[in-house]
Formats: sequence, structure tokens, C-alpha cells
Amino acid sequence: MTVVVAHKWAVNPQEAVVAADGSIDVSRAKPAVSEYDPVAIEVGRRLADLLGCELVGISVGGPEITSPMARKAALSRGLDRLVVIADESLSGAGASVTATALAQAVRAVEDVTVVLTGDSSVDEGARMVPSVLAGLLGWPTLAEVAAVSVTDDALTVERAHGAGSQVVRVAGPAVLSVAADAAVPRVAGMKDILAAGKKPVDVLALSGPLPPAPTVVARSRIELAQRAGTRIDATDPHAAATTLVAALRADGVL
Amino acid sequence: MTITWILAEDTAVADLVRAARGLGHEVAAAVVGSHDLAAAVAAGGVDRCIWFGEPADNAIEAFAGAVADVVAAGGPGAVLAAPRPASRALLGAVAARLGAPVLVGVTDLALDGDDVVITHDVLGGVARRTERCSGAACLVLDGGGVLESGDMVTIEETSADPMSVTVIEDRPSALPQIDLGAAKRVVAIGRGLRAKEDLADVELLAKAMGAAVACSRPVAEGSGYLPKDRYVGVSGRTLSPELYLALGISGQVQHTVGCRGARTIVAVNTDTDAPFFRECDYAVVGDLYEFVPALTEALRE
Repeated sequence: MTVVVAHKWAVNPQEAVVAADGSIDVSRAKPAVSEYDPVAIEVGRRLADLLGCELVGISVGGPEITSPMARKAALSRGLDRLVVIADESLSGAGASVTATALAQAVRAVEDVTVVLTGDSSVDEGARMVPSVLAGLLGWPTLAEVAAVSVTDDALTVERAHGAGSQVVRVAGPAVLSVAADAAVPRVAGMKDILAAGKKPVDVLALSGPLPPAPTVVARSRIELAQRAGTRIDATDPHAAATTLVAALRADGVL
Repeated sequence: MTITWILAEDTAVADLVRAARGLGHEVAAAVVGSHDLAAAVAAGGVDRCIWFGEPADNAIEAFAGAVADVVAAGGPGAVLAAPRPASRALLGAVAARLGAPVLVGVTDLALDGDDVVITHDVLGGVARRTERCSGAACLVLDGGGVLESGDMVTIEETSADPMSVTVIEDRPSALPQIDLGAAKRVVAIGRGLRAKEDLADVELLAKAMGAAVACSRPVAEGSGYLPKDRYVGVSGRTLSPELYLALGISGQVQHTVGCRGARTIVAVNTDTDAPFFRECDYAVVGDLYEFVPALTEALRE
């Protein structure tokens, strides 16, 4: 048995600068292990400890993901080792391309019980990579997973379902996207960071064809609707409420 | 002949049908769920309705491979799905089978010859891109409201061999299901709400306003004040109500991208520099704990 957890080395779009022509400059943004991925690593660490097996991290992306900083940031959070595929063609790639490379990384790991991912990436937030990956592997996938356990060959998964939840039995292996609140990730200490430098990292060359990417025909900034932003001081809440209700009725939205 | 597909595991797919119809091709739906769902989709404005049979205790996700087989054999151009977890599982399998790109946050769809031209938000809504796909394209857009009933097409049942994903325990929520996508007015709460009990006052306001209650992402996580299908924003719902009242939500782009289609936006915040104040029609500077009861009272007058 092996538990695999995927993570993305990504920048927060809050730090991106969008030019008038719609081009995006993220050169001043600092990449990190994507916001929700430490939760998946934490869930993976606990599961691997329960099963007494290895926790293997996988990540794909541009050449920068093999930097010592990127490696240590992931390994210090509890991974036993890392498998990465770094290639220029994976920089800023869409879900299908990213999932294709991740599938190659998963296939390089033996005896996989489950692949865990975070809820969504901080940059694209598409939430589609896990299900495309599952499709490529021919495995089932579930999202918004709150808890997972393994018995014999089956996974027992608790996941959000609509406004409620369900317990689902999956004949593994499977790709599970872990809810952002499934666990509180540990904070890596100096000892973890130093130890991370000694953990094995396999850098694989991207192999096989990638799915075609669409042709970009236009880029733009988001043209926000002109909104007045009329200030209403609610120091006197009753007066403010009366003013707002009158304004909304005049606008025809109440 | 190219066929536009929609994937439906819920009746809240009205905007998918509308977008699919707009392309002008034949529209086929792949329906995973109960016969009632299939009947609603068959009467919801599609040309064909392919149903995978009663799921029994199989999870929707168990049918991902079967759906991919049927769609792949059905001449797909654009394949549309809502961002709900089960829909994404089905769409991912289709994208994998077709080797097709996946684009999310779709705001506009058109045909140019045989190509599909898609405009969509990128990097969590900081910019927009228009892209051309010459083959199949898997697209994610908010499903919108529940389908309205019209002329019914035949439900074509297909046999499916589901993967082994079995629901062994169902814990439905006590909260009523709401049609958030069709709500004319929405009251959304953010981290400004300090305790779950305080939701009662917000519910009273929503009732007085005839509004549905939604939230920002952090409110649906950890604290769990509201279920995850109620959060608005880049990885949640995209809504276009007539009125969107944001209570105690700072207004980061990841949230506002989900409500920019609203006709009127009101933001209530104690922070005079809240980013939402730059993206709203009315900026109420004050404490939601004082303002919410006052507004409820003013609406009743």
C-alpha cells in the first residue's frame, strides 16, 4: 500500500498584476504550496501512519517546481519522498494537461491505494484536475472528502453531499479531493525543514503526448459594471436602514 | 454532426440548457440520477435525454466512465457541466476520454464555423480570456436555476456498468433545499458573523426581504455555519440575482467573481476600506449586528 498526495506550487492571484491588455504578470508573486494542499498532505500523513505505509508526494509544473525551496516546502509537511515532473509545457497549464502529467507521476509509484488532492488550487481554482486525473487512470473520484479510512481493498469515505453528507464505500484505488476543513495541517518546524533536504526526490522527464490546449484569441481585464458605491453611514442603523430600503425600492429591486 | 452535451445529476441546470441551446447544435443530455430527474431534464428543453437508469445505492460518481463512453460516441462538441462535485467527476471522465481541454468560469459561448469560442474568467477571476477549441471542449459554468417544464422528449434508457462506488450511509441535512440559482434576492454572510446562533437574525432579514441565504467560502468551512453548496465565489456558486446583500464580507476577488452579475449589490461592513465597497452600489458602513435588525424592521414597514 502507498498513499499518494498531489500538490501544486502556485502563486496567489491576489498578487497578480493584470495589464490593460489582459496580460497577467505574476513575476512579483511568491509561489508556495497551494493554499489547501497542506490539508491533503496532513490527511495523507495520518492515513499513511495508520496503514504503516509510505506517503509519496507528486507535483507537476514549470521548471521552478524543482527548486530546493519548492521541494522543502512540500517535503517538510510530512511527505516521505517526492516525485516531480517539471517541464516548460506545464507552466500555467490547464486541467487536462496538468492531469495528464500527474497521471504519469502516479503510474511511476507502485501499489497506490489512494491519490489525495487539495480542494482547489489557489491560482486557477478550477477543481477539475482530480476528476480528469481519475478519468485518465480509470479510477473513481470523490470530492469534498471529510474523512477516509482503508480496510482490505476498500476505501470508506465520508464526503459532503448537497447540504448533508454521505459515507461511501469505494473499491480502490481512487482519487479523493479533500475538503479544506478536513484537517488542520501541521506547521513545519526547523527540524522538519532540515530533514526535508535529505528526503528523496525523483525528477521524471515528461513523456507521451499532452492533450491539445485551446488557442487564445483575446485577453482582457475584467470590465466591472460601473457601480456608484453610494456611502450610507450606519452610525444610526435605523436611519441607514430606512435610507437603503427607500433607495432599493426606487431602484425596483425590492 | 456535432452535438452539444450537458451532464445533469440535478435539476439546477437551466443555464446549461440555455447556453447549449445558444450554440445552435442538437442538444443531448446525459442524466445520472432518478427517473424523476430524467423526466425533468427530458421536459427541460433538450433534444435528446440519455438516462443511465436508477442509480440505487451507487453514487453518481460511479457512472463517470459510462457517461464518458456515451458522450465520446455521441459526436461531442461542447460538453457542459455545473461546478457541483458529482458533475465535475462526470465531466473529468469525459475530458480524459476525449483528450479535451477543460475551461471553467465560462461567461460566453459561441460558434465560429466548427470551432467553439469560449470566454471565461482565469486565475480566480482576475482576468478574462477568449479561447478557440477546434475539437471537443469540456466547459464548467454555474448550472443556474431549476429547469422549467416544457415539451417532453423520449427518455432513452441506456444500460450502464457502474464503478464500485457505493453509498452506505446517507445523512441528509435538516436544512431545506433552496434554488439559489433562481433566487431574485440573496443575503450573503461572511466572517463578520461571529456565531452560528446569530444566523437566526440573518434568516429573519432574508424572510422579510424574500431572499435566499448564501455565504462566503470561510463560512461554509471549519465553522460550518452553512453547507458548502451555499458559498458564492470562484470555486462555488456564480449568481446573478436582482439584489445581492453582502453582510460582513470583505470582498476579495475570489468571492466577488461569484456575484458580479447581480443587478444591485449592497455591502455592509465596519471596515471603511473593505474591497467590496469598490464593487457595490450601496456601501453601508456599520456593524451588521446593529444594521440587520434595523433593516428587517424597515422592510416590514
